[in-house]
Parts: sequence; C-alpha cells; structure tokens
Amino acid sequence: MLTGSAATDIGALPGSEDVSDSDMSETGKVKTINAESRGSQPTHEFDYADALARCARGEHAALQQLYQHEGAKLLGVVYRIVKDRGMAEDIVHDACLNIWQRADSFDPQKGAARTWIFSIARHLALNAIRGRDREVSVDLNDPHELDDDDTFQQASRVADAFDWQTGQRMDECLQQLETERRNCVLHAYVDGLSHAEIAAHTGAPLGTVKAWIKRSLLRLRECMA
Amino acid sequence: MTRPNEPDDLHVLAGEYVLGTLPIAEREAFEARLANDPELQKAVAAWEERFLPYTAMTDPLPPSDYLWPRIERSLKATAARSSASAPASAPRPKVARRRLGQSLPFWRGVAGAGLAAALAMGVMLTNVTNTPATPEYMVVLLAPQTQSAGWVVQAANRQEIQLIPLGTFEVPEGKALEFWTKADDWQAPVSLGLVEPGQPLRLRLDQLPPLEDNQLFELTLEDDAGSPTGLPTGPIEFIGRAVEI
Repeated sequence: MLTGSAATDIGALPGSEDVSDSDMSETGKVKTINAESRGSQPTHEFDYADALARCARGEHAALQQLYQHEGAKLLGVVYRIVKDRGMAEDIVHDACLNIWQRADSFDPQKGAARTWIFSIARHLALNAIRGRDREVSVDLNDPHELDDDDTFQQASRVADAFDWQTGQRMDECLQQLETERRNCVLHAYVDGLSHAEIAAHTGAPLGTVKAWIKRSLLRLRECMA
Repeated sequence: MTRPNEPDDLHVLAGEYVLGTLPIAEREAFEARLANDPELQKAVAAWEERFLPYTAMTDPLPPSDYLWPRIERSLKATAARSSASAPASAPRPKVARRRLGQSLPFWRGVAGAGLAAALAMGVMLTNVTNTPATPEYMVVLLAPQTQSAGWVVQAANRQEIQLIPLGTFEVPEGKALEFWTKADDWQAPVSLGLVEPGQPLRLRLDQLPPLEDNQLFELTLEDDAGSPTGLPTGPIEFIGRAVEI
C-alpha cells in the first residue's frame, strides 16, 4: 500500500488526456429544427428530444453531447442562483444524473425537451438554496403580509433591473407589469431570490413583494392565455 | 384577496414554485403533490415554458475540466450499483442500467447540509480524539448512495490532514480505495495515495497548495495498484468538501 503523501504535482498530471471525447463520434447527431427554441438562436439546432430519447436507451454519448452543448449555460443558470462555484458544479453534476435517470419519463407532449432539462437543473439549485434558508432558520413568516399591493409606492421612478427583452411573446406580458413588479419576478426567476431577499434588495416591504409576485403571476397568465 | 379562486390559486402556486419563491417546506409539499396531480403538472409546465427564455439573461459559465469525467464516473457507478444492489461486498457485474430512485439529494447534502453535519461532527470528534489543536478544516466524506458518513478529514493546519475512518468498508478483491483531492480552481484532482479501510491516515500536503475552503475530497474504488491513469477512474465511494471552522 503506498499510503502517505503520494501527492503528485498538479501541473504534471497525466490526466488531461481525458475521457471526454472517447465515444463522441458515433452519434454526433445535430438536426436542423426550429420548434424547440423560437428565440434568437441560429437555425442549426441541437435536437434535445432526440438526446433525451438516446439517454433513455442508455447511451452515455447522448448525455455527453447534451452536456457539451448546454453545460456552460446550465452552469451559468445554476451559478447565478446558488452563487457558489463548487456548489454549482455539484448541482450540474446532479442535474446530469437526474436527466439521465429520468430521461425515459420525459414526455414531449407535455413540454419542450430543453425546458425540461433546464427545469431540472434550476429546481435542484432552488432546492439547495431554499434548504439552506431552512438551516439558517430565518423564519420569514411575516405577520404583516399585505393584501393591498399598492401600499408601497416608491417615490422615485424604479429602473429596470434586467435587460429582459428576449423577443418572446412573454415579453409583451412582462412589459405590462409595473417595472418594480417585473423586477421582483425576474429577481426570483433569474437570481433565485426569496421573497425576503427581494424585499431586502428592492427596499419594498415583504408583504408587498409577496402580493406583487402573486398579482404579477395572475396578470402574466391572463396575458399569455 | 376577497375570495379564494381555486384555478387561480393553483396557477399562482405553480408559478411561485417555478419562480422559486416558495419556502422549503411549501416547496417540498408542492413537489409531493405535483407527482400525482396532472393539472398541477400542466400548470408548472406552462410556467416553465413561459419563463425559460429568461435563462438567456445569465452568462454561460464553462464548467471545469473535471466536471464531465466526474459525471461519467457517477453514471458508471450508478449502472454498476443498480445491478449489484445486494450486499456491499458482492462483486459488481459490469451491466449497464440504472434506476436508483433517489440518489441525488446526496449532493445537496454535501453542499448544504454537509456544513451542518461537518460542524456537528467536528464538535463530536474533537471531544473524542486527542487532537491537540482545534482543526482548522473539516470534511465529512459521505457515501453517495446512502449518504452515510464513512470518513472524516480533519486538518489542524492547512498542510497536514488526518483521514479518520468512521466504520469499515469492504474492498472487493483486486481493488483498493484511492484518496483524491481537488480545490475549486485546480484543473484535475490529485491523488493522495491508497488508503486502508478502517485505518486512520495522516498526510502532509507539502507538495500541494494549502488546503482551502470547499476543497473536494473523495475516495474512489480503483485497481489495487491505484488508478492507472493518475485520475479517478472508478466509482466514488465517499465524497465531501472542506469546511473551514
């Protein structure tokens, strides 16, 4: 047994040869579709649904392609929420395993594959940070939860906290929200902030933030209907 | 609200779930309900679809070179484990196919609850062992599948660590446990050598940068001479991150 400090010099690692590219060639499948992302993406689109189908059949290469295609974006989204690099990579690791294990339950009738993939990663990130909230045990129950969402009026004009125009239909609906409410919704979705964090961040009372988000969701839904 | 409006409530709740604003207890209750509620699933899917474009507002962040190999090892371990679900000492046939229900909260454990565990463990261990100085860093190494703690790493200073077994581990014939570490900004993990199950081990990290917060430690199952590539190749048996105390 070679116990003891067998520590290798990091720079001299033979490891960079890497396993990553081993079985890529056989199924390097990229299709041209446009249905999946109607956004500003180029037309040469990765076939997410096909990648999931191949994951469900046990093809590691499919997950690897998915990872190579979306890994950086997934990590970006997760990192924005958890704000810790190591934790974010842990979560992307989990998300990939989760995608792999649940690929056979993905149902294209119920939504787009790319949405499904990002949702998995986001919810793992959200679970992690909300779980952390519990540990810190900040009890955020607000006795003064307000029903009146107009109680809080900011004197000065609130600026947009996000450059949120994506060219999607949802833009029009977000546009109809007051700026401070739109900010709340996006602070939650993009930054993963809790009600209390949004309140702290924007200076709006907690009850107001809660009410704003609820009302905004109702309005967004109506608008998208 | 004046009167509760059932469908509206459902969609608002689903929306809050997707935004992430539900407190953890409500999140968990929601997820439990979601599993068997097609209406709720539809509502959630609709919100996911509406909001997805706004993920484009975050900048991509290239993962470290180490992440994919780690995912791949976990895939292999998952496949191996699901086919050899019986006793821990059983040899692992190399059959692919998965299904291990819920293994993933584990990583969350390492990242989040691991902190609490590490601190609790730190208190316990400093009481039990005769470590002269209070350790500066603590790592609890958990078994990915069971989330049970198998080893603890204690560091009295940033150059010297002690690996302490919390139980025994049966190494299959012809295999050995290899100890690895990697800090966040290293390109690849570094081997700290093979370890004997059930035996404590003291190591000086003279050739490595000083231990840092969040540094990853893991034990993988390798051939008995150690990994042939100098990088972890076998399944992760125990893993954890350093917490500064």
